[in-house]
Amino acid sequence: MSVEQVGRVLGSQHSSTSAFRVVLDDDDFLQLDDLVVVRTQVPKAGEVRTYGVVTEAEAVYEGASYESDTHRIAELGIMPAAKVRTAQVQVTRVDPEVWVSPDPGETVERAVGDERAKALYVDEMGRPLAVGIGRDELPVHVDLDFFDGRKGGHMSISGISGVATKTSFALFFLRMLSAREHTAIVGEGASNMRVLVFNVKGEDLLWLDRPNTRFDDEAREGWAALGVEPAPFPSVAFWAPPKRRSGDVIVPDTGGRLDGIEVFSWTPREFIDDDLLQFCFTDANDAKNQIPFIRERVQTQLKRFAVNVAGRPGAVVLRDPSQTPGGRWGAQEVAAGPGEPLVEDLPSLVTALAVFLEPDDGSEPDPAWTGRVMPSTVSAFMRRLHAAASRLGHLVRSGETRRLHRGGATVTVVAIQSLHEQAQRFVVGALLAETFREKEETGQRLPLSVIVLDELNKYAPREGTGPLKDMLIDIAQRGRSLGVLLVGAQQTASRVASEVLENAAIRVSGRLDAAEAERAEYGWMLPSTRARARLLKPGTMVISQPAIPVPLVVTFPFPPWATRKEEVDEAAGPDPFEGL
Amino acid sequence: MARIFVEGWDPDYGTPLDQDDALSPAEGSVDTSVETDDWAPIEGCDDGVDRIAFVDGVRRIDARLTLDDPEQGPTPGLVGTFAVGAVVWDRETRRSEVTDVRIERWAVLAGGSGEQMPAVDLEPGVSTTRAPGDDPNLLTMALHSKMRDAEGECAESLSAECAVVADGPLKKIREHATVGYVKTHRVTYVEPPLGGVIAELAPGQRSPMFCIAAQTPYARYSWYLRLAMLQGGHSWTGIVRCETSGHLARDEASAIADRTAAVLPLVASEPHVDPRAPQNLVPIGALERELRHRMGDRGLVYRALRHAVMKPEIQQEAS
Repeated sequence: MSVEQVGRVLGSQHSSTSAFRVVLDDDDFLQLDDLVVVRTQVPKAGEVRTYGVVTEAEAVYEGASYESDTHRIAELGIMPAAKVRTAQVQVTRVDPEVWVSPDPGETVERAVGDERAKALYVDEMGRPLAVGIGRDELPVHVDLDFFDGRKGGHMSISGISGVATKTSFALFFLRMLSAREHTAIVGEGASNMRVLVFNVKGEDLLWLDRPNTRFDDEAREGWAALGVEPAPFPSVAFWAPPKRRSGDVIVPDTGGRLDGIEVFSWTPREFIDDDLLQFCFTDANDAKNQIPFIRERVQTQLKRFAVNVAGRPGAVVLRDPSQTPGGRWGAQEVAAGPGEPLVEDLPSLVTALAVFLEPDDGSEPDPAWTGRVMPSTVSAFMRRLHAAASRLGHLVRSGETRRLHRGGATVTVVAIQSLHEQAQRFVVGALLAETFREKEETGQRLPLSVIVLDELNKYAPREGTGPLKDMLIDIAQRGRSLGVLLVGAQQTASRVASEVLENAAIRVSGRLDAAEAERAEYGWMLPSTRARARLLKPGTMVISQPAIPVPLVVTFPFPPWATRKEEVDEAAGPDPFEGL
Repeated sequence: MARIFVEGWDPDYGTPLDQDDALSPAEGSVDTSVETDDWAPIEGCDDGVDRIAFVDGVRRIDARLTLDDPEQGPTPGLVGTFAVGAVVWDRETRRSEVTDVRIERWAVLAGGSGEQMPAVDLEPGVSTTRAPGDDPNLLTMALHSKMRDAEGECAESLSAECAVVADGPLKKIREHATVGYVKTHRVTYVEPPLGGVIAELAPGQRSPMFCIAAQTPYARYSWYLRLAMLQGGHSWTGIVRCETSGHLARDEASAIADRTAAVLPLVASEPHVDPRAPQNLVPIGALERELRHRMGDRGLVYRALRHAVMKPEIQQEAS
C-alpha cells in the first residue's frame, strides 16, 4: 500500500457519501479521472475508506472579492491572495460499507496499486476484462459477467459519426474478448465464440486480418499496457452479397477488396423455408394496415405449395399440395410443367405469387392466400414485393446453396454497405433470425454468439414496429440467457428502441452531439461527464457498467489492423505471388 | 462661492474631512518652513524601493461583561479581539503576502480588584486588563490601545527590512522610517494661504513637509499628498496626510515623502471596490479582510466565553 498524499478533504463545505472536494497540496495536482482514497476514522466502526474519481478540477484566488482583484493580485501584486486549487470527487466506493462521508481535513491520497483496484471494484469483479486505459496508463476493466449473460448482457455504444469511435471501440472490445491472453478470463465462452459483424458503411472492416502501416510505438505501448499482443484478428471470414448484373460470374459486391471474400445468397427454397419474406417488409410503415396479415398468410401458403424442381437445385415451383399423399410435398422433386412459373429468384417468385394474388384474367384473388383482405391491400402488398424484388432480388438465386456460414472463423464480417437500405435490413434480419433460431434450438448459452451492429436506429427504431425491430427487442430481452449478445452502436441513442437500450448492461459513449448529450438516454453519465462528452477525442470513451456506480473515461489504443485500404501493410500481408 | 459635493465614502465611515475638531489649528507649533519657504506642489519620486510593508490592525467587541461585586455593585467590562499584521508588497516579483499576523483577546474590566477572566477554550486565550474608569468608551480605548501597541511593534520589526506604511497616525515616535498614513483630517495643520497648495496638488504630488510638535520628543515630519482625483470630487478629494519620525535627518524624510507621493497612488483603491476609496489602500483593505477572518467566528467566541464563565455553575449542578 503506497501512501501518496495529494491534499485534504475540503472543510468549508459539506462532504457527503456521494461527493466531496479536495483542497490540493501546493506541490501536487489531481486531474480528471484520477482516483483517490480517503481514510476516515468512524466512531465504533473503525477505519472506513472512501474511494472516488475526480470529476472536476478548480482553482481560485482566495481573498479576491471582485473580478478586477485578479489584476491587483497577479499583475500589480498590490493585493495579497492565496491561490487555492481544488478537485471535485465523485465517490465510487466505501469500504467497508459504512455509508458515512469522509471527514473534513482528512488526507486524500492517490489510489494506486491495490487501492486503485478497489476504487474500480476490480477486486470484486468475477472476471475483469481490460477494455481501455485510464489516465494513469493502467488498464480499466469491465466485469465480463455483465457482458456474456451471467449477470447481464449486451453493450450499447453511442457517439457521433465521423470520429470513427463506435465501430473502432466495438472491434477493440472484440479483440480484447478474443485475445489469446484473455482466454483464462473469458473462460469457456472463449472457445468457439462466434462474432457476426456487419459492415454498414465504407469498407472499414474488410481489412481486419491485415496489419496497419500506421501502427506505431505509441500504440504498441497502449497494447502492452493492456497485456495483449497487438496483431490483426487471427480468424476472420469476409462475406459479401453478389454484385448485381454480373452475369453468370458471381463476384462479391465490394470495391477495395475482392480476394478472400466469399459471396452469400439464399436460394428460393431457403427463402421460403426460413420465412425470409418477412424481412422484405421491415419498413415501419408496413406494420400499418393489413400487410402483416397477408404476409403471414402468404408465408404459410408458400411453405405448403413450394416443391423442389428436379435438376434445378434451390429452385421451386408453386403447386397445390392437396392432391399429394399427406398433403405435403416434403423432399419430393417434380419437373416444371410447361408455362408454369419457375421460381429461380425473387422476381420470379413475385411472378409466381401473382398467379394467386393478382390473377391475369381479372378474377378474384385466391382467398386461401389473401385471407379476404381488401383488394387494395393485396395491391399494396404486391407493390411492395415488386419494390423489394428490384432492391434485393439479387440476394435470392437458385443454384447450389451459398448460405453464409459462421462456423468457419471467429469473426465473420458481412459487407452490406453497398446494398439498398431495405436490402440491408433484409440481410441483417435473415442472419439474426438464423443465429437466434440456432441458439433457441440448442437452448445452450455456450458457445457465445456476439453480434455487432452499427446504425441500430435503422434496425430497431424507437417509432413504429416491424419484424426486425421485434427480433432485436427479443434478442435484447432473451438473448442474454441464450448467449446471443448484441453490441449495438448508434449515433443517437434517443432514436433507438428503448427496450434494446435498457437491456444493455454495459453502456459506452464517444463524443456526443451537444443536444443529444442532454437527453435522458444518457442519464447514466454524471453532469460533468456529459459536458465532457462533447469534447471527447477519438479513441476516448465513457464506459458505464453495473459494477461501478460512476462512468469511467478510458482511451483505447490505435488498432494493429488496417481500417482502410491505404493502411494495409502489403509487405506484411500474404504473398501476392503465392501459388503462382 | 463655495460648491456642494457628495462624499465618495460610505456614510458609515464618516467623511475624509471629519468635522470633530472643525479643522482647527493644531495645538503646539507647526513649522511650515522645515523643508522650504516656497510653498508649491512637489512632484513625487519613486526611488524604486523593492519591498513595502503595509501595517494595520482590526478589533472587535466580542461580548460585554458585568462584574457583580457584592459590595461595590455591578461594573462594566468587555471582551474584545484584535488582529494586527502586515501585507508585504514585493515590487520586484509583483506579489503581496500577509505576514506577521498577531491575534490577542482581552477582557477589559472597569472595576474589581484582581479578578481574572477564567480560562476560555479559545486559541489564543483571553488575558485580563483593567480600564481606568467605567465609561464604555474607556473600555474600548483600552482595547484599542493594546492594538495600537501591537501595530507599533509590528511596524518596528518590519522596518528593519522594508519600507513601512502603518495605518493611522504614528503612536510612538522612534527613530525609524515608518510612515504613518492618515486617511481622515480632523485637524488643520497648515494655515491659509499655504494651505491652498493642498487643493492644488495633482495625483502623485505632495505638499512641502511641515514639522508638528517641533522641538519636542513627539516631533514628526508631515506632508499631504493626493492619491487620485475622483470624478465629481472637491479640492480635498483623495488627499491623505502622512507623517514620519521627526528624529530622522531632513533629507531622509524628504526622500520618504517623495516616495510616498509617487508610490501610494499606485495602490489607491477604486470607488467601486472600496467604500473608502481612494484613501483605503488596496493592500490595507485586503489585510483588514484577512485579519477579520483570522479573528475567528464571533459566534463561536461568544459561545466559548459564556461557557467559560458558567462552567462552575454547570459543574455544581452536575455534582
